Amino acid sequence: MKTPDLKKLTDIPMEDYLVGGHVACQGCSASLGLRLALKVLGKDTVVINGSGCMTLLPVYPTTPLRVPWLHLAIENSGAAGTALYYALRRKNINANILCYAGDGATYDIGLQSLSGAAEKNIDMIYICYNNQSFGNTGHQRASSTPRASYTSTTPVGKVEAAKDMPAIMAAHKIPYIATACPSYPIDFVNKVTKAAEVKGMAYIDLLVPCPVGWGFDPAEGINIGRLAVRTGMWKLYEITDGRFSMSYIPKKRRKVSEYLRAQGRFSHLSDADIGAIQVEVDREWDALEARGYEYELGI
Amino acid sequence: MITGNGAAAWGARLARAEIIPNFPITPQTAIIEEIASWIASGEMDADFLPMESEHSVISALAAASSAGTRVFSATSSQGLLLMTEMMFVTSGLRLPVILVNVSRGLSAPITLWSDHNDVLVQRDSGWLQMFCSNNQEVLDSVVMGYKIAENSEVLLPMMINLDGFTLSATREPVEIPSHDEIDDFLPAYNPKHTILDPKEPMSMGGAVFDEYMYFRSQQRMAMQNSKSVITDVCAEWEKMTGRGWGRGLVEPYCLDDADRALLICGSESAILKYTVDKLRKDGEKVGMLRLRTMRPFPCEEIVDALSDVEEIGVIDQDISPGSGGIIATEVKACLGRGVTSFIAGLGGRRIGVEKYEKIFGRLGRDVEEWIF
Repeated sequence: MKTPDLKKLTDIPMEDYLVGGHVACQGCSASLGLRLALKVLGKDTVVINGSGCMTLLPVYPTTPLRVPWLHLAIENSGAAGTALYYALRRKNINANILCYAGDGATYDIGLQSLSGAAEKNIDMIYICYNNQSFGNTGHQRASSTPRASYTSTTPVGKVEAAKDMPAIMAAHKIPYIATACPSYPIDFVNKVTKAAEVKGMAYIDLLVPCPVGWGFDPAEGINIGRLAVRTGMWKLYEITDGRFSMSYIPKKRRKVSEYLRAQGRFSHLSDADIGAIQVEVDREWDALEARGYEYELGI
Repeated sequence: MITGNGAAAWGARLARAEIIPNFPITPQTAIIEEIASWIASGEMDADFLPMESEHSVISALAAASSAGTRVFSATSSQGLLLMTEMMFVTSGLRLPVILVNVSRGLSAPITLWSDHNDVLVQRDSGWLQMFCSNNQEVLDSVVMGYKIAENSEVLLPMMINLDGFTLSATREPVEIPSHDEIDDFLPAYNPKHTILDPKEPMSMGGAVFDEYMYFRSQQRMAMQNSKSVITDVCAEWEKMTGRGWGRGLVEPYCLDDADRALLICGSESAILKYTVDKLRKDGEKVGMLRLRTMRPFPCEEIVDALSDVEEIGVIDQDISPGSGGIIATEVKACLGRGVTSFIAGLGGRRIGVEKYEKIFGRLGRDVEEWIF
């Protein structure tokens, strides 16, 4: 695999395949993620979209997309991507297949279809834009929602922890898995490039802070993403051919309270609640440090 | 001699279907098994995609058709119901997908045997719906189906139904046309309305606001256009093979001088024809009208065929509890008069000649009667 070598923002191609003027919310990191991904994937890309916020990008008779785009339904991006892989091959079209679907469409309703595509190791890039809830319907609980988060269907906070989706993908033994966040654009686009170059299926779990659902000022989206990473509550890592490695290790982790107190969805938490989350995060990072931040998953 | 399932597979092979997403379900499974063996042996050039559910099968059909490939699959019963959401998406995107349904009664209680409730659940999904009466018609309908569905005035998906076990597992003599004949009849599929090629970027499946009703009216128009296309394609097929299957939408049998007639669809029509012949030998002026297409619903053709018939009955191998026989309800609306509605053969319950004779004796009442 060629090592992607983008080092600074100005290295990212200027061309846009998701152009301005679309109807995504102000401060939406999901549309930013798609824009960045398409910049490095380029014009020879076909996008499959699972129903969600991004489905509202093309609104008849307009479209902000300069690459082919197919939306069918919420739960079938894996199946659609599988069929598209074979159909494009029959049509002698050499293009990246990008599935861009939300976390509800990925972790929950679309898991079966995604698992089918992963088991077949279809040569495509699946990016889950993860706002940790059913965002487009107004921020309801998903299995990706972190413990304690308010959603409109967990009015006193979610009891269970989020599903470990990258680990589920790793169990399918696909060659490349990564987590990312548009607040770290160089890290993200390099991962997209790797995902495109890998032969077989690549899965990227992209944390996209959602101003509407999470409750923060739209101008703060990038900062919220940075805080998620710097507090250690969102880890940036890759799993390449079964080998786990951290992409970014904060030198001194910020207190989780900085991240949690900045968002409406955690505003009901007491200092004690936040202390408990800090303990949990510290324990996870201690375990990571003990393993040296890089190891064979052995699955 | 091939089974109905074999005939369906042959239809896909002759039409050179390229992408075959699939999921096993009784009594359909032999169709995809046959295709799998042909692809493995090199007799058929297609990609065989074993999917993880029928929902994924129809999603794969829709995606591959969107990219401009010719696609085929088959399902039954619960599998068809699992596809429901995507049935509407497929017709809304105007994708000429061909899907064979091997009809089977719906659970619960679970049954393996045939009736038509599975097909009729999809009645309003915007798909063309074709019922076959024998195995030859299955093969012919699959090949003709592509020509009808891909016609630029139609561009709608089509479901072709054959009855579980009665046709799917029964061997009948079937004439298999040559590839050369079919290649002349059915040109390659190269759509202009759906393209997933970076050279011509197109956004498909987007949102609409007020235009929604406009798109729905276009679907309705396409369904209306399909009537003459079906008739024309059947006429062309008849010229080539000698088999025209009535006028395409309905098949009249002994109706010219009939004073009593039964309307039916599917393979039961064969036994009903036999009954008509038997009763006619006794001097009874009975006849039959076989419904080939449930969608488009051939109202004008039904009126033409039955306007001079005094007493009409409809055999429904389906039931909409709280309303009645689904086909009878539609026939009444189209004729504007009462018909006797017979609910029979649910879950494959045997009807047989004696019961058909009894049914002919019970016409002339605007009631619903269950034939156990």
